[in-house]
This record gives sequence, C-alpha cells and structure tokens, in this order.
Amino acid sequence: MSGAGCSGDFGLSKSENSATPGAGIGGSTARFTLLDNTLYVVNSTTLRAYDVSNSMNPIPGRQTKLGFGIETIFPYSGNLFIGTQTGMLIYDASRPGDPRYLSTYTHVLSCDPVVVQGTLAYVTLRSGADCRNNAVAANLLEVIDVSNLQAPRIIRSIPMINPRGLGVDGDVLFVCEGDSGLKMFDLTNPTAPRLMQHLEGVRSYDVIPNRDVLIVTGKDGIYQYSYADRKQLKLLSKLAIEPLA
Amino acid sequence: MPLLPHKTMRWLLLGIPLLDACTNNQVSPPGQTTDNRPIYRPIYGSYESVRNVRTMAVQPIRQAGKIYLKDGFLFVNEVGAGVHIVDNRNPERPVPVSFVSIPGARELAVKDSILYADNTVDLVALNIANPLNVRLVKRIENAYPVTAYPPMRNVRFECPDPAKGLVVGWQRSENESAKCWR
Repeated sequence: MSGAGCSGDFGLSKSENSATPGAGIGGSTARFTLLDNTLYVVNSTTLRAYDVSNSMNPIPGRQTKLGFGIETIFPYSGNLFIGTQTGMLIYDASRPGDPRYLSTYTHVLSCDPVVVQGTLAYVTLRSGADCRNNAVAANLLEVIDVSNLQAPRIIRSIPMINPRGLGVDGDVLFVCEGDSGLKMFDLTNPTAPRLMQHLEGVRSYDVIPNRDVLIVTGKDGIYQYSYADRKQLKLLSKLAIEPLA
Repeated sequence: MPLLPHKTMRWLLLGIPLLDACTNNQVSPPGQTTDNRPIYRPIYGSYESVRNVRTMAVQPIRQAGKIYLKDGFLFVNEVGAGVHIVDNRNPERPVPVSFVSIPGARELAVKDSILYADNTVDLVALNIANPLNVRLVKRIENAYPVTAYPPMRNVRFECPDPAKGLVVGWQRSENESAKCWR
C-alpha cells in the first residue's frame, strides 16, 4: 500500500493490500470509507453502514449515533477511527456493518482528521473561523498511542500553523497546512515526527500518499510529488484549478 | 404554583437558543451589534433536476474537494457538483477524462468499478467501467437528512424554505436580513 492517508488501506506493505478487496484509497478528510465489504458513511451525527458485498447493490444497514461534530472516518486493522470536533472515537468494526464503541480520545474543540499506522494515530487539530473555534489557539499535530484501543494516550504534541488533512506511509508523514503550505516529516522514530521539508507555496487541504507518489489537493491545483527521496519532494505534475469567476 | 424568580426565568429563556448554537439557529446571538460573518443563501433544486446524474465532457476544476485513487485513476470531487475522472496512470501527466455531474456531491469512494457518492439526499452507486458513459446502478433515496444549514461555520444564512425545493448548495449573499446562523 500505500499510504495510510487512505481509506480502505493498511499501511503495512507496498502492495495494493486493501482493507476491502477492490477498494481504492481516499484522503484523511473522507466521510466515506470502505472496510470489509462495508461502506461506512459518516454525517455530522451518525455512522451508517452499507453492505457492498455486491458492489453494484449497496444495502443500507445499521445506523449508529455518534454525537455531534463528526468530521472524518479512517479505517485501520478492522477498526474505525472517527475524527470529531471534540476528539477521536474508536470503533471495533470486526463484525462488518455492526461497529462497536471502544473509546474516545478527547481534545479541545477543533477540526481534526486522523490517520493511523501501527499502534500510533496522528491527528491534526485546527482552530479558526470555519472550525467554530476562534478563541482557542489549537493548531497542533498530535501523536496518540492506540496500542490499547480502549485507552488511547497522547504521547506528543507538535505546534502547527493551520493543519488540515494528513497522510502517513511507512517512514514518512505529510501534513497539509492550508494556505501555509505542505510539510513532510521523517518518521524514522514514529513517535517523534521530524520536519524534513516545508513547501510554503503549496496551499494544501488533503493528501494521498501511495507508492512514493503524493497527491495533494489545494486551492490552486492538484499537485503530485515523488517522495522516493525522503529528504526532498520532487514535483511531477500539477492540474490547475480555474477559480470561480 | 409558585412562579420562577424573575431572574431565573430570563436566564432560561435566553439559555435555550444558546445551547442550540452548536447546530443551527433561527435567531442572532444576543448582544451582537455588528455582524461581519459571511452571509449565505440556499440554492434550490427540484427533485427531478437533482436526481439527474450524467456524464459530461471534461470540465475545469474550480473547487477541488475530496480525492480518491483507484487503479491508476484519480477521482476529484467538484464540491457540490460532481466528480472529475482523471487518468493518472502516469502521475507526471494526469489526463482528465470526463466529468460526472452529481448534484450536491461532496463525498466519494470506489469499489471494483462502482463509484459511491452522495447526491444531495440520496446515496448513488455508479458504474464507472466506462468513464465516458457512467451509469447509475442503484439509488438509495433519502439516505441523508435534508440539509438545513451550510457546511461552513461562523456564518449567517437565509433560513431554507422547504416549499422552494431541495437545498442543493449555498452561495454568498448580501442579504443582511438573513436570520439563521451557525
């Protein structure tokens, strides 16, 4: 695989190992994700499961109340990690379509996608006008130990500028900083991300890292970079965006 | 029956809309004199026009939303409008192939050759085996609650009127009399 900026994918190997056969990879800000022949859809308050064993015939299944301010969903190793405005919820999804609540990691009110790799979750916290949180300056990248899914535990908090989507692929982590650019971190020590490069001019919202190619969306275009060299991103292409007239 | 003390009663009356402020409100927050929050107004569509998914020629990307990668193809959500299909087998030269118009779409995922997307209040499953002729294979009607407020926060907006149709999107407005906010 690929990155774990990714729905439907395990960050374990470079093969196209997918959490559900035939699924692709989404970004960290996704509200749709595929896991074990189930399409999980979050809206602001609920998690809805659709059985997609027959991909052409999705069948609505169980609906789970989650609370409020639900933003993102990320599948990993049979579990669902749900980013909300008040924290991260962990659900056991080992029974397809029947998620079971495990725990909540609570933080200050913010916007926050999450990605997971191994026993660590990486979460960005962002304050700002569109996050309903002007008062608290909470722009952070948090590293959370999820080895015990019942008791997630913060182990590091790194100041950010205005972080949004993020993606992880083995020894590298990418964090979108909105209008303040794109950051690449070295994860040789997975609990201590080390900043390798900050492309200040690349306004970014979300990423998909996959097989050494990073896809970045932002205000100005869709950029693709090679990260084969972990010290320096190399621009491969850019699809321009034509701003609204 | 004893009446509530005057002060308590006032607090209760004020407190209700405040508690509700997390979602969607019909009244302005108390004590606000100058309101600089951006104003939005709903864009309405009929069910018939909304439930019309079709393949179009390549369109410019104007507001890129969620992205999804599958078998060398990149799917880019055009916020509230549909999905751009891009042949990305060579990431040095991505080639836009087509645009699938899906009114209201903001989310997407792909399994096999089926693209799932939100089509305003419905969930749709589309066969994308031929990106030039994307076909609806299943529609689950009313999978989503009707949108009553814009996705942005800290904004004011004109309260939606269901009699005018489905809310398919939001656009900026100058209407200072907008009563709703979130």
